[in-house]
Amino acid sequence: MLEAFLTSAITMATPILLAALGELLVEESGVINIGIEGAMLAGAFVALAIAYFSGSIALGLAGGVAAGVAINAIFAMLVVNLAVNQVVTGTAVSILALGLTGVFYRKLFGVTGKAFMVAPIAKIPLGALARIPLLGPVFFNHNALVYFTFILVPAVWYVIARTRYGLRLRACGERPEAAAALGLGVVAIRWQALVVSGALTGLAGAFLTLAYANTFVENISAGRGFVALSVVIVGRWNSWGLAAASVLFGAAMALQFGLQALGTVVPYQLFLALPYALTLVVLAGFGGQAAAPSALGEPYRRD
Amino acid sequence: MLSSIAKPFAALALAAALISIVLAALGASPLGVFAALAEGAFGSWYACAETVVKSTPLVFTGLAVALAFSGALWNIGADGQLTIGAMAAGAIGPHLGNFPHAIAIATILAAGVLGGAVWGGVAGWLGARRDVNEVISTIMLNFVAVQALSWAVHGPLMEPSRAYPASSPIARAARLEFYFAPSRINLGMLLAVVLAAACYMLLFRTGAGFELRAMGRNRRAATFFGVRIPALTLWVMALSGALAGLGGAVQVSAVSHRLYEKLSPGWGFEAIAVALVARLNPLAVIPAALLFGALDNGSQAMQRAQGISPELVQVIQGLVILIILAFDTPAWSGIREHIFGAPHDAAAPPPVAEAPDA
Amino acid sequence: MLRAISITRRFGRTLALDAVDFDALPGEIHALVGENGAGKTTLMNVLAGSLAADHGEAVLDGRSLRAGSPRAALAAGIAAVHQSPMLFERMTWEENLALGGFDTNAGALDLDAVAARARALAAKLGFEMPPAAATVENRSVAERVRLEVLRALSFNPRVLILDEPTSVLAPSELNAFLDLLRGLRSEGRIVVLITHKLAEAIAVADRITVLRRGRVVARTTPAETSEEKLAGLMIGEIVAQPARSEARPRSGAPALQIENLTLDDRTGRRILDRLSIRVAAGEIVGIAGVDGNGQTELVEVLAGVRRPSSGRITVLDGSPGGAMAVIPQNRDLDGLILEMRLWENLILARPLREQVTSHGWLSISRAADLCRELIDRFRIRAPGPETTAGALSGGNRQRLEVARAIASRPRVIVAHNICRGLDLAATAEVHRTILDFASDPSGGAVILISSDLDELLAICGRLLIISRGNIRETNPGERDPERLGLLMAGARD
Repeated sequence: MLEAFLTSAITMATPILLAALGELLVEESGVINIGIEGAMLAGAFVALAIAYFSGSIALGLAGGVAAGVAINAIFAMLVVNLAVNQVVTGTAVSILALGLTGVFYRKLFGVTGKAFMVAPIAKIPLGALARIPLLGPVFFNHNALVYFTFILVPAVWYVIARTRYGLRLRACGERPEAAAALGLGVVAIRWQALVVSGALTGLAGAFLTLAYANTFVENISAGRGFVALSVVIVGRWNSWGLAAASVLFGAAMALQFGLQALGTVVPYQLFLALPYALTLVVLAGFGGQAAAPSALGEPYRRD
Repeated sequence: MLSSIAKPFAALALAAALISIVLAALGASPLGVFAALAEGAFGSWYACAETVVKSTPLVFTGLAVALAFSGALWNIGADGQLTIGAMAAGAIGPHLGNFPHAIAIATILAAGVLGGAVWGGVAGWLGARRDVNEVISTIMLNFVAVQALSWAVHGPLMEPSRAYPASSPIARAARLEFYFAPSRINLGMLLAVVLAAACYMLLFRTGAGFELRAMGRNRRAATFFGVRIPALTLWVMALSGALAGLGGAVQVSAVSHRLYEKLSPGWGFEAIAVALVARLNPLAVIPAALLFGALDNGSQAMQRAQGISPELVQVIQGLVILIILAFDTPAWSGIREHIFGAPHDAAAPPPVAEAPDA
Repeated sequence: MLRAISITRRFGRTLALDAVDFDALPGEIHALVGENGAGKTTLMNVLAGSLAADHGEAVLDGRSLRAGSPRAALAAGIAAVHQSPMLFERMTWEENLALGGFDTNAGALDLDAVAARARALAAKLGFEMPPAAATVENRSVAERVRLEVLRALSFNPRVLILDEPTSVLAPSELNAFLDLLRGLRSEGRIVVLITHKLAEAIAVADRITVLRRGRVVARTTPAETSEEKLAGLMIGEIVAQPARSEARPRSGAPALQIENLTLDDRTGRRILDRLSIRVAAGEIVGIAGVDGNGQTELVEVLAGVRRPSSGRITVLDGSPGGAMAVIPQNRDLDGLILEMRLWENLILARPLREQVTSHGWLSISRAADLCRELIDRFRIRAPGPETTAGALSGGNRQRLEVARAIASRPRVIVAHNICRGLDLAATAEVHRTILDFASDPSGGAVILISSDLDELLAICGRLLIISRGNIRETNPGERDPERLGLLMAGARD
């Protein structure tokens, strides 16, 4: 029971963490991307559609990645090249993606409501590790995407904190004018962050349809993109913090299913609302925004 | 003056062109789709009435967004504010049976105003006192509101037979009448129009409205002249929430008569498109809301006639916002100055080029 | 050789650089002097690639530099130390330097190697380095300057441009710094030193170029000039002024009292140091000083934008209008909202807004009438109240701000660099308006904060000097512009 719950927590946490890690890269470069929800949804849909029609999970994953990148590219053109308001653009992109996926979903799969399933991505139990009591099944009996996400956490931390590229990235988010004066291409770097993030977020969406639900329903992302934004804030812009926050929120999501089934006194909605309420508490009480990159959200324009 | 009207039309035209491409990709006929939309929205007397009904919540939320955006306060939370307002209305509604009609209506609407004001005020307070970016706080509050509604209709407000997750119906006395039955046109739209005029007066004819617009255009200069930014932030967010909340109460009182999950099909977000098309002018919010309400209404007919799902309307919303933003970017005015020389006369363009303090 | 050929650059309507020619040779320290607003920083930005010139070009060793690209400038060997901070506060100093030229390892980023190279160079220069892995946030201003110089040198540049590097150094650190510059010169580099500290320029430079209002007004060497002459060139033509400023007796009632005003910034640096000023009605008090000595912050405190750390500001004997009207120096950014109409900009001032509002209701027609009245009275060249402020020329915008300040009938007007960017005729007109305001029996007092001595000498009755956040009175008879210029430029009495 506990095992099932924890495993479920990790499964729920994965797409959120993937998207959040991508958003972390973007925010370190100084951009806040509220369109992350749209990228995830687009990735989810395209991955399913391609996997269903081609029969290949791999192609589906690739499609999901491409869709995420495409959505972020639209965002990047407006926000990075034209230095437009990031918040409103992000919201519009999410609405756009919601609409596009809905329209194309209906066109391709009809209104019958029949669930179009794909075979789930295979789980890969990691040999001896998977046999450790409790920890084994919880951490080491997942599909490849989950393992990829595990690896991504230290990798992203390393890139941001210890590499030359991470340094340049952070410079853009800290003081873009100074970065530009040092010869850094702020526009190029922000584009790169958005492309990588698009790929990760698209992959997160693909996870939702190919590994988790094995089908697509309207608005399957259901706010997970915004939870990813919360994760970055609650995790204090730090990879490990992001991982912890994702697991916490993933657990809350897993919990609400269990509670729904049990019909206990505690309303399951509490757990669904937890990520958002916690974000507010962190921001209000613990100077949450002080940990953000200094130039986050400010449009940068070459003179 | 001409340019400020031309821009929304140009944006809509460009959106229509892009939509046509999307439709072609879907194998549908753009002209056929637009015709179906128009037919569905205005094709019959009932259709026109229904368009008005569907536009009403958009006027309220559109005003909420236009007001906040005028002060460069990025209120993305109109949906949540509307929801909380609706909840307050739906909670008190069933208990108003013994009151005279006018009192009951006033009470239920007041409940909506209060609920929305509180929800907007929370974000405003967080921004004023804790320097929390209102974008993040309003988005978070949206989700909290959705869950609160879900809990309410599954729990304390659930109707007695416990058959569906919905609240008890509100008392007859608290319902805004139907006129021109069987249409659903009601006083809600009239109220919305009156409020639009009031918001216009507030924004352009009062000292407080002036301070808000100054704050939206140039926060630093506003501080130099004594505008108290934190207090203004709090008041405007509360007012914005109140307007959205009132829209929610009107919806409950006039149309739905009870609460259920997913009360708002995204009016708070659609309101952003409405407000931008209206260029943040409260009076222009009315035709803009009618436009998007018409699209919403016509989308059902479009689905029947052309097989395109109603989500196309969201594609239109998203495209319109993006196009308007792209048109208004400073990069364009720089290019324009290059070509035309003179600085352009800005009547009331949305201050969307400015960034929120993150 | 570094050459700037006929560089011209506009910002909106302001001509920042007007066909400027400049050159600097290897093994030379070339000082570029002038007051702020003269165009020195703009010229530096063009040379360093941060800014593209509208016309003209920059040439290094015969090769034309690509405009508007800092990367191209760095690649060509030009490094700059800017006046405004260009460090990344939240990063460690090693990381900051790694973004410079110390990161030459082929493989992974090695901050230890960067630190080692930095320390080596620092030792050669006699610099002290902060403790390992310390972030820049909490470092002192002097340390930051050192870090920025180090970062610039890490590129091993042919040309090093420094913008006011010594303004924050203590006198004890100054000599070491000048020796550093001499060392760089002897290595054959080109050193361009932008400064307003004339003593240092004369002490260390081989050639000196003086900029004023975007033009080169003099090219000279230390041997051929003196601090006094330079001050005169920098600050303006010494025109024999008609004795307009008969020392106005303190006839009026006290209008403004500032007591022990102190302001510390976030890092604890003292910006305003126990400032005390008393101004009486009818007085025009001038506060002279080179930019960067606390004037901007003083104006912000008086306007209520910033809270002082301690001290008291009292406006006495309140008049029907507001207490204090402030005209900030950044008229386009802080004083006006360019997208709004003239009448809207007028009612930004609360007293005027109250005049045209009844019970909270704004009367646009009254505001427009008021605007027309002021347009006439102050001779603002504008089509009408509905014009947007952005459409006005700089001079007319200034007239508008002055009109607004005076129309709000304050007890005190505080104006900061009010005539910057205006020609002589416009300047004279603004001065006349201020004189009228002060001499009006129901008028108030005026505090003029300026780095333009001409202007202050022309109309101020009393002259104060602000330096490093401190105020000093000058002797009533002291009117020698050269001497005052020296005091402003930081000389000790």
